[in-house]
Amino acid sequence: MQRQMNKRRLSEDEEIKAAGLTLDFDEIAKRGVMSKEEYAIAKWYGVYGSRQSGNLMARIVIPGGVVTTPQARQIAQTAENHAQGRINITTRQSLQYHWLKVPRVPDMLRELAREQVTTYHGCGDVNRNVAACPLAENCVHARLNVRPYAREAARLLAACHDLDNLPRKFKITWSGCPAACAQPYMNCLGLIAVTVLRDGQPQTGFQAVIGGGMGWKGFVAQELFSWVPPAHAVALTRAVALLFRDQGDRFHRGKARLKFVVQRLGIARCREIVRENLHAEGVSTADFCTGPLTEVAGSIPQRPLVDSRLETADGTAVVRVRVPKGELTARHLRDLAELSDRYADQRLYTTNRQNLEFHGVAQEKRPTLVQAVQQLGFETDGIEGICDLVPCVGTTYCPKAVATTRDLTDLLDPVVRQDKFAGIREAVRINLTGCPNSCSPYRIVDIGFRGMRIREQLGSVEGWEMLIGGSQRAHGWKLGEFKTEDCPAVTEIVLDTFLELREEGETLTGCVQRLGGGPFYERVWERPLGDGAQPDGGTGTGHVGGEP
Amino acid sequence: MKFDYPKAPPLREYSVGEGEATTAADQRILAKDIPCQAACPALTNVPLYIEHLLHGDPDACNAVNLESNVFPGVLGRVCTRPCEDRCRHQWTNTRGPVRICHLKRAGADRATRVVAPPPYFPASGKRVAIVGGGPAGLAAARELKRLGHDVTLFERQPELGGMMIHGIPRFRLPREVVEQEIRLITETGIHVHLNADVQAEGLQELSDAYDAVCIAAGTMQVHQLDLPGIPPELLISGLDFMHRYNHRQITSLEGDVVVIGGGFTAVDCARSSARAARRLLGHGGKISIYYRRSEHFMAANQEEMEEIERENILIRTLATPVRGRLENGHVAAVTLRRNVLDTSSQGDKPRMITVPDSEFEVPCRHVIVAIGQHREEGLLPTGWELTTGFRTSQPHVFATGDFATGSDNVIKAVANGKAVAEEIDTFLMGTRRMETVVRVQTVHCDGYVGRVRDHDLLDPDPMQVAQLQQRAVDNHEVELGFSPRGQQTNAERCYLCHYKFEIDQDRCIHCDWCIDVAPRKCIQRVSRVFCRDDGSVEDVIEATLAADGTYIWIDSDQCIRCGKCLRVCPTEAISMQRTERLHRPR
Ligand code: SF4
Ligand code: SF4
Ligand code: SF4
Repeated sequence: MQRQMNKRRLSEDEEIKAAGLTLDFDEIAKRGVMSKEEYAIAKWYGVYGSRQSGNLMARIVIPGGVVTTPQARQIAQTAENHAQGRINITTRQSLQYHWLKVPRVPDMLRELAREQVTTYHGCGDVNRNVAACPLAENCVHARLNVRPYAREAARLLAACHDLDNLPRKFKITWSGCPAACAQPYMNCLGLIAVTVLRDGQPQTGFQAVIGGGMGWKGFVAQELFSWVPPAHAVALTRAVALLFRDQGDRFHRGKARLKFVVQRLGIARCREIVRENLHAEGVSTADFCTGPLTEVAGSIPQRPLVDSRLETADGTAVVRVRVPKGELTARHLRDLAELSDRYADQRLYTTNRQNLEFHGVAQEKRPTLVQAVQQLGFETDGIEGICDLVPCVGTTYCPKAVATTRDLTDLLDPVVRQDKFAGIREAVRINLTGCPNSCSPYRIVDIGFRGMRIREQLGSVEGWEMLIGGSQRAHGWKLGEFKTEDCPAVTEIVLDTFLELREEGETLTGCVQRLGGGPFYERVWERPLGDGAQPDGGTGTGHVGGEP
Repeated sequence: MKFDYPKAPPLREYSVGEGEATTAADQRILAKDIPCQAACPALTNVPLYIEHLLHGDPDACNAVNLESNVFPGVLGRVCTRPCEDRCRHQWTNTRGPVRICHLKRAGADRATRVVAPPPYFPASGKRVAIVGGGPAGLAAARELKRLGHDVTLFERQPELGGMMIHGIPRFRLPREVVEQEIRLITETGIHVHLNADVQAEGLQELSDAYDAVCIAAGTMQVHQLDLPGIPPELLISGLDFMHRYNHRQITSLEGDVVVIGGGFTAVDCARSSARAARRLLGHGGKISIYYRRSEHFMAANQEEMEEIERENILIRTLATPVRGRLENGHVAAVTLRRNVLDTSSQGDKPRMITVPDSEFEVPCRHVIVAIGQHREEGLLPTGWELTTGFRTSQPHVFATGDFATGSDNVIKAVANGKAVAEEIDTFLMGTRRMETVVRVQTVHCDGYVGRVRDHDLLDPDPMQVAQLQQRAVDNHEVELGFSPRGQQTNAERCYLCHYKFEIDQDRCIHCDWCIDVAPRKCIQRVSRVFCRDDGSVEDVIEATLAADGTYIWIDSDQCIRCGKCLRVCPTEAISMQRTERLHRPR
């Protein structure tokens, strides 16, 4: 039979999607295998292939990055039942199982549902887990509590059936203040709570930025509106998703994301379309602002989430759990849930550095909780700093990965822990991604590694593209490509150089933004940088100065 | 420096990544990448013209053909299609090769603006005489004129065209098509002398009067068949028969016809006889072709064989005529003897072994002998002889076409006509003024060239053919050309091999994503690559383990230009280049 010839410029994925998005995992379990089409559609249910053939990954959505302790216990139990008792925290605050088998999927889904936990829309061409500042409700700098907005947006978009077949994934994040801890500039849609002067009055609302992204090509989000009234912020998420649904490239999947739409149409045209979408649904945009506005709420320190600067609004304590490589055992998760019940607010909070947090801890209980967490084998400090290495899962599980992020993490750990770097522990963040998909966003941190293979005379070895001095709004500067075995030495040279050149209170990124990559390049390569250009193939976007 | 790792050199096929590639290796790479073009004696840029059709531009399509093969309308009907045998599309057995030839015709049929290709050089003041106005002579004339020379064409018949007019029956090649394409050549200012039968003396005179002479007189001397029992004058020569048939001197035939031979002329004679005898519709005498080898060795292609069968013509093979018989002064029968092929024999055509006691008599009224032809040796003045490379013993006298090569097909004649023109030019001007380069251009279109994978698997619409009733009337053309839909579906099938996908090894990070999405084994992880002296890849050793992979490499021989790899590559290491052979003044 001839295939239909009337849908020419569609990718294969789009053709599969057009055939329907419904699967019955009991039917698949009975059969024991999934077809290529079912694999493609399974993503909508949060189920994805794994590097080891026969294994599956399932991603649990954690809207806003909060789980209740009953949910945490259920997630732990299900991990034990079906996923070899292991759970991974992702950089978008979701949780993942990596050892699932096809016949286990239906039971996994049923068990999670008992506690209203779902993997639905964990992957696939839909609105993904909605992220938010980890400390949303209690950060001293928060202009407003973004958590309810994040959860409401997640609910709304999951319920919109006209948004269940987007050209590709769609990512939203909510940041409580312009410090942008929730990474709004690298999401499709970032909402940043701001307090600005309008008609002489301070008014709190959201700045909306769209078209940021990592993946194989990094983009910095551009401002869609400088101020949106809080009442319309959730409606805006739908209007932007509609923009994406209608304008995204459905032939070239690699260029489908909203960032390419913004690049193609320009932000002004996107703004018009978003306004039209809002008007069509009866939302007035009369109050929406564009153009610069002045933030009037209190000043915010650089990197407010490092240990020494973390401050709550209500005076309760936050206890943080540094989860090495983001991987937990079910047993640990259950124990942590237990501790939250006892000492915190009966919730666990996931962070975009793949860690967990306890909130609402009475100051006097803090030492007890810290001790309990440490007894479980976790560190409770160094978070958001140099020791808080963030690798994606890499070749450990990911079918796309090129490099073993976890091994490099182990190699770098002793380097960054050296005493000589004690003074810069809060001035450097390091991310490692196993492939250009950048699941660990390597372009926006002080030191970023992206896995690759390096050609030799015969054969190839694992290596890394290394960027330095990245931030959300000025991606990292390419220092070079190095074999895995050389990465610790290069990292040490970079840190030594930073120690030498650093001005008081400066981050590594700040230092690179001030001086350019040249001084670091010269120390590593023992030769001058030439005409100041970035080495070939750099993926950085050039610097505009000033974090984030 | 410590982190400057030694690496195997990057692999790149063409000598330049962008621009014009000029080495011999570049030509070889182009030939490997575009096999149909390489198989065409005139090196027609097949994918380029098909791409023009795909995008709905028959004028541009025809212009490409006009430039390369001079007679698109003619060749789109009668070409022997060496290109189709080499087409990539049949390697995967997806409904056979692209119908390259028919698409050429589609372009010619639908072109509305047909203009002669522009001159290469201004007038040189040199005069060249060409003897023979067939495809080779005409092609040579056009090119010599473009090269700036003053060309005079001498044709012994009252009209130009040679075999295209006299030898090929009109139901295969309508006269107007030939005339139109000839006019395009002569109108550029070529002097034509018709009814000018140049013989040895005349040739001598021309050679004195012109700066160069080119003999393209074809092969007009037929091979004789000695058939005891029938006097030679009662045997009809195939060439003669076709000439008379095409000039409407044979309009009806009584009685059975036996055609001896297996080449194009034999088949054309049989099909023409079938029309003259109204055998098409089952009336009139029987028409049979007798050929000494098997069908496999006959010149006609599969489609033509089917038409022959449809036209009620019998083909009998493995039979050699041994004698004839007369009755009342008319041919009454031919006796033939069976052969078998000696399968152990070497060479293109196997030897035949006679089967003892296998003679049989075939009653018939006419015997047409079409067993080949050769050049008239008497044409060359005494002492002149042909040497190699289109030359003769006279430095300024050249020879081309069938006259030089022996009887062959139209496309070869055209190719040789063009080639001799450049030889003559080089002789006249003392230097080679034309050059060939490969233009390599990166195209930024996300690997999308207007077709998708589904197009590869299309069942293309066949060419329409005339009903038998229609064919019986006044030489109605048998093949009717593609319908617009047929043209589109057939054009869509071509992989467009003039696009080349290549990996920049210095950007590639060995993620293997391209290998995962590739539809075929077109991309491989290889540990070693063996190159020829000129740098082109001769062989590779595949690597199973990532650590053994030195390169991720696209085998452009296996690539079907789907663009998937380019779209998936996260480092933009894969580029798509458009490659084109340019032949032009230096
Ligand atoms: S697919 Fe097209 S370009 Fe390729 S060999 Fe066949 S006709 Fe030529
Ligand atoms: S374009 Fe790429 S994926 Fe497609 S056939 Fe060619 S090499 Fe293979
Ligand atoms: S997709 Fe690109 S980077 Fe990956 S192996 Fe292929 S050519 Fe190399």
